[in-house]
Amino acid sequence: MAATMDFEDVRDKLRKWREDKVRNSTETAELGEYLLANYRRKLGDEVWPLFEQVSIASLDCGKLSLARLCIHAVREQFPQSSRSKRLHGMLEEAEGDFESAKETYEEILKGDPANGLVMKRLVAIHKGKNDIPSAIKELNKYIASFMSDSEAWMELAELYIQEQDYSKAAFCFEELILYNPHHHLYHQRYAEILYTQGGIDNLEIARKYFAQAVKLNSNNIRALYGMLLCAYHIASSSKSTAKKKTENTKYASWAKVQLDYKYKQSEPKDEEVLGEMFDRLAITSGN
Amino acid sequence: MATFCHLIVIAGILGLAHAAFSAAQHRSYIRLTEQEFTRLPADIVLECLLSLIVTCYGVITMAGKFKGIRAMAEFQTKSMDTVGNRPSFYSFAHRGFKKQPEEAKTKNDS
Repeated sequence: MAATMDFEDVRDKLRKWREDKVRNSTETAELGEYLLANYRRKLGDEVWPLFEQVSIASLDCGKLSLARLCIHAVREQFPQSSRSKRLHGMLEEAEGDFESAKETYEEILKGDPANGLVMKRLVAIHKGKNDIPSAIKELNKYIASFMSDSEAWMELAELYIQEQDYSKAAFCFEELILYNPHHHLYHQRYAEILYTQGGIDNLEIARKYFAQAVKLNSNNIRALYGMLLCAYHIASSSKSTAKKKTENTKYASWAKVQLDYKYKQSEPKDEEVLGEMFDRLAITSGN
Repeated sequence: MATFCHLIVIAGILGLAHAAFSAAQHRSYIRLTEQEFTRLPADIVLECLLSLIVTCYGVITMAGKFKGIRAMAEFQTKSMDTVGNRPSFYSFAHRGFKKQPEEAKTKNDS
């Protein structure tokens, strides 16, 4: 596949994946290996970020020999750099040797105590050992010093979700929403956590956050589904008042109309399946 | 290339330069005639302000149609698959590893 694409396309594709932080490691490793083997001189200074990208991708796929080659090349070029030492630590992690990885990272921290990326790798070591509580403790220590790091907050939220500690995960997402109030995905994910927690109050709040996600991005189908399900559950719950029931049936049918329209626009063959699902949920159009 | 708005901007900048030179010349004249310098004559100030307005108008017209400030524009096309990636925290202890058992053998050999 790589040989049929031309150099600029491959390079631009990899650059885009690097900037957007996409994690399709098999293709990255394959295309990157092709570029590095055949077009080293043409890439110029872009070789080094590409080496880093390919080494991480090959560690992800288990292609340890390719990873060793890339990391060795980077370390030869930048022997004193903490970034290349960190790559070496990641290689040790991938090999399963967590002890020497930890030593590598602590050595880097001795020279540069404020290196946030290396502190994050210490958290990843605990993740690799599947020791989530220690990972959470380590990450809380990191966040105490680097409070505005969105990536760290999201990681903490996902770790709490793994431990099924949904209230703390919701707190993390509240912080993320505070930093980025216009990001529809944060609102959607927060609503999903509330929906998972359950209970009429949480469902109401979840429905509102799903609605906000739809308002920020009308193409967010998942948020539309979320709104539909929240409204449906509130409407069919025995604990809600009659007024709430009518309101929520209206919300549910509004969401249904939106979903119908979106599916008609892009996936008309799925309309039948959609109709069946709505029938099963027994949602009628607004009264 | 020399469209109307370009001419406006050039005229505005020339006006500003002319006002600056006039002001400098006025000050040296005041110094030579040993008068007290209180403020610049009104016509120089007026020329400066007018040139400023003309230049601003020209630059804005040249810049073309303004786009609205949409804080969420960059997020519209992204999915949780890419946004939810936290590259600094990638862990490699996952199932993808089991695909290449010969790599593990290489590690044990070396």
